Amino acid sequence: MRLPVAAGLATAAVTTTLYPLFDGGAWLWASMGAILVTTLVGTAATRLAAPAWVATVVMPFALLAYVTAAFAASDAWLWFIPTPGSVARLAALIGSGFDDIQRYAAPVPTHDGIVLLTVIGVGLIALLADLCAVRLRRAALAGLPLLALFTVPAAVLTEAIGWIAFVLAASGYTGLLVADGRERLSRWGSAVVVRRSRSTGKTAPRPDTGRLALSGKRIGVGAIALAILVPALLPALSPAPLFQFGVGNGLGGGSRNIGIPDAIAKLSGELSQQSNATVLTYSSSDDQPRYLRIYSLDVFDGVKWTSSGLRGRPQDRVSEGPLPPPPGLSVSAPAGWAQTTISISDDVGPLRFLPLPYPPERIQVDGDWRADQSTLVVFSTQDEAAGLEYRVVTKEPRLTPEQLTASPPRPDGERRFLDLPDALDPRVEALARRVAEGASSPYEKAVKLQEWFTKTGGFTYSLDASGSGARALARFVLQTRSGYCEQFASAMAAMARMLGIPARVAIGYTGGTKIGDVWTVRTHDAHAWPELYFEGVGWLRFEPTPSGAAGQGTAQAPAYSLPVVRTASPTAGPTPEATSTSDDSADAARSARRDSRAFDRDLGAVPVVADPGLTVAAKVGIGAAAVLLLALVPGVARLLTRVRRRRLVSRGSSGTEAAWRELCDTLTDFGMARRPEESPRALGRRLTERYELDARTAASLTRIVTAEERLRYAASPAADGPVPADLAGVRRGLAAGVSRARRIGAVIAPMSTLLRIGAAGERGLDLFDRLEGLRLWPARRSAAGGPALNRSALDGSALDGSARNGSALTGSTVNNAGNTSTVEGPAGRTEGARR
Amino acid sequence: MAATPDVTDTEPRLEDLVDTAHRIRAAIESVIEGKGEVVRLTLTVLLAEGHLLIEDVPGVGKTMLAKALARSIDCPVKRVQFTPDLLPSDVTGVSAYNQQTREFEFKPGPIFANIVVGDEINRASPKTQSALLECMEEHQVTVDGLTYPLDTPFMVIATQNPIEMEGTYPLPEAQRDRFTARIAMGYPEPAAELEMLDVHGASQPLLKLEPVATTAEVRALIQAVRTVYVSQPVKRYAVDLVAATRHNPDLRLGASPRATLHLVRSARAHAALSGRDYVIPDDLQEMALPVLAHRLLPSLEAQGQRRHPEQVVTELVGRVPVPEAR
Repeated sequence: MRLPVAAGLATAAVTTTLYPLFDGGAWLWASMGAILVTTLVGTAATRLAAPAWVATVVMPFALLAYVTAAFAASDAWLWFIPTPGSVARLAALIGSGFDDIQRYAAPVPTHDGIVLLTVIGVGLIALLADLCAVRLRRAALAGLPLLALFTVPAAVLTEAIGWIAFVLAASGYTGLLVADGRERLSRWGSAVVVRRSRSTGKTAPRPDTGRLALSGKRIGVGAIALAILVPALLPALSPAPLFQFGVGNGLGGGSRNIGIPDAIAKLSGELSQQSNATVLTYSSSDDQPRYLRIYSLDVFDGVKWTSSGLRGRPQDRVSEGPLPPPPGLSVSAPAGWAQTTISISDDVGPLRFLPLPYPPERIQVDGDWRADQSTLVVFSTQDEAAGLEYRVVTKEPRLTPEQLTASPPRPDGERRFLDLPDALDPRVEALARRVAEGASSPYEKAVKLQEWFTKTGGFTYSLDASGSGARALARFVLQTRSGYCEQFASAMAAMARMLGIPARVAIGYTGGTKIGDVWTVRTHDAHAWPELYFEGVGWLRFEPTPSGAAGQGTAQAPAYSLPVVRTASPTAGPTPEATSTSDDSADAARSARRDSRAFDRDLGAVPVVADPGLTVAAKVGIGAAAVLLLALVPGVARLLTRVRRRRLVSRGSSGTEAAWRELCDTLTDFGMARRPEESPRALGRRLTERYELDARTAASLTRIVTAEERLRYAASPAADGPVPADLAGVRRGLAAGVSRARRIGAVIAPMSTLLRIGAAGERGLDLFDRLEGLRLWPARRSAAGGPALNRSALDGSALDGSARNGSALTGSTVNNAGNTSTVEGPAGRTEGARR
Repeated sequence: MAATPDVTDTEPRLEDLVDTAHRIRAAIESVIEGKGEVVRLTLTVLLAEGHLLIEDVPGVGKTMLAKALARSIDCPVKRVQFTPDLLPSDVTGVSAYNQQTREFEFKPGPIFANIVVGDEINRASPKTQSALLECMEEHQVTVDGLTYPLDTPFMVIATQNPIEMEGTYPLPEAQRDRFTARIAMGYPEPAAELEMLDVHGASQPLLKLEPVATTAEVRALIQAVRTVYVSQPVKRYAVDLVAATRHNPDLRLGASPRATLHLVRSARAHAALSGRDYVIPDDLQEMALPVLAHRLLPSLEAQGQRRHPEQVVTELVGRVPVPEAR
């Protein structure tokens, strides 16, 4: 009975962690309803002792009835029995839900479609949890569906999951495990008992599982607390790294949250963010603004643009010398050298890529930064970009239009730069061909494409668009023609690939604006742009996104990409040479694996609450100080108590009691056990003998002890109680008998206070236990089992805890034997009396 | 020596009690060497208005102890040697026909005394043993329908040989329950035995023993013991201790409520002998073994493991928590 409820509670606990994903609470109640429905079905099945499969079969129908009632009641028969109409309505809702998921980033509005999807998901998780924990009796396994649910916020949320959410979820799961353990034990016990009760007509007590559950809970609570505290306390790990699998940028919009776009999908958040913080500043030798590229995404899988992985071998460290030559550049052209000095703001998140102008030739930077050979993206697996200042030398080839036009269609280019997802609408390709009509060379096609996006195509700049997947792309190109850099860049890259031009999407920042002597790049300058490859020329940046006030403010189309370039002399144009990027295979495989991992992680990282300039050492220092202060609390509390008691003793009123308590606490502090079966007098005698107290101390001790004894047992309390000097004397006398470490420990971390704190915690746990023990309906067996249990508890009162469990269990076995074998009279009587 | 305190004083003072008790102890110990603890227990039982069972092998001074106690108090002492052919009337007395008065006349038996020494009580037949029961519990004798009250103080000091010895009838549980305490004399220390040889070799010290207290004094002492204060927590502690014997898996039979009563009474006496007018748990702990152990029956398993009730009681005393609340 306990188990289905525990499974439901666990699911509910994990479900609450989804809270930050939604904008509003309607979904929560709907989801709780779904959990309630499954739990009710599960409980009923358990109660009726139905076969295990029944609940699992009934649950989906119950869920269906529930969602029908909740979302399509008007079309349903009797509000909850599905009809074709209601099913169609639900299907439509689900469809719109999927659309909404595509459209919105978290926190999503609670539209019916999304809520319905959530409810169905949560309901299925509840069903799976019930199946694992209750039907299959594998409570630990139920953690898997719950974990699946838990990973949703972990994967989607831009911020790390709060520890409270983690505690909730973990507590739910722990509760399920505890319930399973108790159920198992009680079932084991009752199997013996049931047989017996049939033969004798008596009901036997169920084994007392409460104590076991309590220790289970203690272990659970301890483990959760450790999981939270240890990572936070260990200086080697960043605070709460357990929850840092979250990704994203400063989408949360906190006033001091800034970030760097880490993936194309997050650009809109960056651009629409309220605050427009400075990300970096730079100055260059020729005082020209330059686009600063962070990542290069070369794979388009139909959902989004991603990277196929980066390789950074030790010899590719930027400190080792010049970077590899830009891929693809083979024509000879005069080079335009420029040196750019970039300093990244301290408030940038954990960025492990360097924003760089393209193509970098040489970089001066502190730390282990490595360049990826094929893309020249510079990254690190150890160091962070925040707060860095570094110098980059770029070598931009000055290409003539003739050289560009002469670039032939690439005969055997790398296929990955031409791959397109199958899901792409064929009309897009037809459109691309129409746009590029009349162009003879790849370069001209590219120029026409850019012109179409920026001028002739009728595109408008809007931050409302979302997504860059195959469907979103088709809609963008064919219908809305409204979007921001993400759509423009990915659309142009995709269409270039359709036209046979290798293309990829770069993510980074535009050149920013010049403030004073330096160029300042802000959050709103985050940008995405396509890079197209031309044989012999290499990768060239294009700019399809509208610039200016009605577009991305600081976007700037490179001169070579404009049609007028044909007549004007070329100004700036990057491009590399054409050594084909060959890989040395074994090394490649190994480092690819490593680096893709690194890349994933770094892609995932980002948002950070900007902290006001505290160094790591300061943070550690503050943390240590806080821990130290916290650690001093028990000692100070103990000292205060001692002073207060001494005052009570000197005043006389209730001094005896205070003196006694002080004595007890002193004993606890010094690790001298006080046995419960020991009377005050016996205690005094033992202490005097054991620690060889001198006569004066012994007399003091006797005064304290005798006064307490009189207070407890005599008709009238003693006339003369102990004096403060007695307390001090006894403490001194006892302290002489213990080690120095013990004495110091007694002052700094007095056991008596710690125990008291522990006892308070225990009371909290007991409260928890009582809450769990609440019965909604009276248990049938409790009336008969109660007295027997009580008696065994009384029995146990004389014994210690462990013996008590033992006697409760062995007791029933003994009794069993008594029923089958003949036991002589008095023995039988005794047994009977004891039961 | 025969200092006579104010026996008419209805409120006997504790100091007098300690003083008198000390005198009696000293007197007994002049005869029984090196058995201070046994003597103290004997006195405790006397003041608790109980009866004492002394169990040990022959020749360790059981009878000597009983006699010494009897002699040091100036009171009538009778001694009954229990044998298998002893009849109940030999203990309680008989109604004999008086030829002169032509009436039946009650001839009081040896039970009519302040201190009755029952020697080797387990050698008598159960019938005779049970004749003793009424006297011990109700302080009266009924013969031929007439009831004769017994004097106060009335104390039976019975000695018995261990049950394993030949020709003994073990005392039934009901009768054992009526004894407040059971003690064992134990062999004397070598030094004490040596001294005994010196003393007993020359003369009979028992004969030289002069009474050091009167019956009235002892009566006053008993009265004083009754006024010793027993607080509620201590009473609860006594109940807990006794109850623990009833729930112990090592015991077939726990202690009776009468045992609780005896325990508290003897604890009172113990406290009074220590000069305290209130009982503390230590008194109960001290008295638990002699008062409880002889009433308990070990379970079969415990017997198999050779666990004696004495051990069980000692363990229980070391396990039941002392009351803290006031």
